Amino acid sequence: MWLWYSWQSAAIVNENGDVLDAEINNARFSVHAAKDRLKLVANGQLPPEAIVLAERFPNAAPTAHGSDELPEFDAPQPTMIQMKIADEAALMLAKEGVAISAADPNRRLEHLLRASEELRTLHLTMEARLVEWVGLFLPSARFETNRSQVAGKLSDVDSLSDFASLLQVEDAYEQPSDSEWKALRDWAVTVSNQARQLDRLEHAIRLLAQKHLPSTSTLVGPLLAARLCVEAHGRARLARLPSGTVQVLGAEKAFFSHLRSGTAPPKHGHIFMHPWISRSPRWIRGKIARMLASKISIAARLDAFEGAPMGQDDVDQVEAKVEAIRKEFPKPPRR
Amino acid sequence: MAKHRRIRPLSDNVLLEGRNVWTVNANPGVAVRGESLRKFRGVEHRRWDPNRSKLGAGLLRTRNDPSNLLPKPGSTVLYLGAGHGTTISHLHDHLCGASNAHRGRLVAVDFAPHCLRDLTHLAENRPGLVPVLGDARKFDAWGVLVPSRIDWLFQDVAQAGQVEIFLSAVRRFLSKDGIGLLSLKAASERHQDGSDADIFATAVAQLSAEVELIEHINLTGFEDQHALLTVRRK
Repeated sequence: MWLWYSWQSAAIVNENGDVLDAEINNARFSVHAAKDRLKLVANGQLPPEAIVLAERFPNAAPTAHGSDELPEFDAPQPTMIQMKIADEAALMLAKEGVAISAADPNRRLEHLLRASEELRTLHLTMEARLVEWVGLFLPSARFETNRSQVAGKLSDVDSLSDFASLLQVEDAYEQPSDSEWKALRDWAVTVSNQARQLDRLEHAIRLLAQKHLPSTSTLVGPLLAARLCVEAHGRARLARLPSGTVQVLGAEKAFFSHLRSGTAPPKHGHIFMHPWISRSPRWIRGKIARMLASKISIAARLDAFEGAPMGQDDVDQVEAKVEAIRKEFPKPPRR
Repeated sequence: MAKHRRIRPLSDNVLLEGRNVWTVNANPGVAVRGESLRKFRGVEHRRWDPNRSKLGAGLLRTRNDPSNLLPKPGSTVLYLGAGHGTTISHLHDHLCGASNAHRGRLVAVDFAPHCLRDLTHLAENRPGLVPVLGDARKFDAWGVLVPSRIDWLFQDVAQAGQVEIFLSAVRRFLSKDGIGLLSLKAASERHQDGSDADIFATAVAQLSAEVELIEHINLTGFEDQHALLTVRRK
């Protein structure tokens, strides 16, 4: 015996497809009421008509309309007007679902992180152009150590000669034309604004990551935590990945080239940016990456299932392990 | 003067002009994805781009009568994996027409909120289009919107196990002799399952065991690594 239900009706059906009892609501629902009922059914709950029948027939198994388990029977149909209302309600429900999806921190983090990546690429290219451009006019200026300050300083002065005296270098032999100088200065203003914008983006990423991924952020820093989360397509998926995958997240090219043509497997993906790995000697990076990835997996699971977050003492323990590995293998292995 | 090409209607609202498919624009003046708009006998049509729509490509590639690939105007149909709504918009032109003159219903299911956003905008101006934000595999969650069995079903979900999803949808929603179209993406199946040809062969075998396979349309050229499989429920 089954309790068949739709969004506005319910019926009790036996093995032969006979309808033993039915609660059919032919009321003209408001779109809102219909939407609430569609939502109820979508969440696997029963509409009021089905609840009434469930009390009358406690042995009937509640089964949604159309399920394969039901025997063939003439399911009561909604009225034409009800169908029309249901369609409007479905549109409203879809809009609601789309609006709610903005609450997902994974999607917010993705936009923030990708935006900062794109801006950083652009910023570095534009900054390199700026340094070359200024260097053309002021060949005696040297920017090796303070490249990042060129844009800020240049956007504060009114002429290239002022800039030269600010840097205490020889003034330009060939001066740029007025329009050329304006274009150059605009360029510098853009570059220096980009630097500020990048700081803001990263600040936002840090705050969101610390809230969304507290343990992973404590362990490897919020920026790396955010990157791993985005690369894994969300916190829940990061928590479910094996730590071997976490270890090589971001090294897909090398990894699949390894699978396909047997090149050396990558030892680390994005986690390489952590100083425990990037500042360690080459021959132990793989060992540290493997250990760290397993700890990240634990942290990600704490985050996803909202356990007690990791504290500084947990991080210290991991760091002690890193130190132990470094001490155990002070020299490169003999080939 | 442009070369005069043979024009052949596929339905009230769809026509084939040489190697182009056009549908009567149900929302006149608006191109959904920047496709060309053109008037035929004073009625605005939108070009159905076969490079953007696997159903559109299927209409051009099929060896049978292309109008057999389309549902009956005014019926209720189900579209799983609606995407951004390019195909949906043309299907709506055909099935519903302007102001839903044919009284069709197009239930379009997709899982991704960013796709649904485009679909809800489309639905605002196209009555008869019913967007659903939900998992194409979780029929119980939205199946109540399809109150009786339907005659036409389309599935385009790019995920592993496409054939199983399609068969269970066919069992649940399609009426006897109803037509089901499966857009199969070889790259969505596991790499270990063999080459694209192997994957298509496995899918054909799986389908033939349960439904009648009408045609295997190869979409290479329009959409690589894709095939459109049309079936009839026995």
